[in-house]
Amino acid sequence: MLVIRRGRGESVFIGDNVEVEILDIGAHQVKIGIRAPKQVPVLRSEILLASEANRASSCGVSPEGVAELVERLQARSRAR
Amino acid sequence: MPRIDTRFGSLDYEEDAVVEFPAGLPGFADERRFLLIEQPAHRPLAFLQSVTRPELCFVTLPVRSIAADYQLKVSPEDLSLIGLDPAGHPVISEQVLCLAILCLRRDQPPTANLLGPVVINRVARRAVQAVRDDMVYSAYYPLGAVEEPCS
Repeated sequence: MLVIRRGRGESVFIGDNVEVEILDIGAHQVKIGIRAPKQVPVLRSEILLASEANRASSCGVSPEGVAELVERLQARSRAR
Repeated sequence: MPRIDTRFGSLDYEEDAVVEFPAGLPGFADERRFLLIEQPAHRPLAFLQSVTRPELCFVTLPVRSIAADYQLKVSPEDLSLIGLDPAGHPVISEQVLCLAILCLRRDQPPTANLLGPVVINRVARRAVQAVRDDMVYSAYYPLGAVEEPCS
């Protein structure tokens, strides 16, 4: 990983078209501004994680699998 | 009454039962209309069935039935999207549902996405997948220790 020290108001370029600027620095967070062409997707990393999780969740769900889980959940709640 | 053929059989629904996701969901940006299906036979599970893609159905559980002390954290942008006060701190209630999407893969233990729960404003019938920025919860939280559901 390339590591660069930057202060408020300073920026770095990634390629010719993407600029990342440090707008503000707080105790726990930094505020960054990103200038990039429209076709370059800019996503928080956790959105990518959620996206992967959604895709994994959207396939392989069978009625049998669901029935099994319902049975397990209901048995557990009866046991209490 | 519109009808949709889902993986779980045919389903008639009223137009006003549709929940709108103005921003879609991560990975499914174009899917904006879902039915929230809560049937007694499947309790405590609830289903989010896409209106436009019959094969797309997410299986969910209320987050509080997975982690009893789960605290919502929703960004002002996400709150505005679903018609709630962007400066407010919503609490899980009858009107504001918070559901975790389950990942039920064959031969693997079931997990729940607690990193990005689906928050539904029942009054406005609008919803958002509110992905947390604090990484406190996993996107693949094991369902092993499911607790008794409480609303």
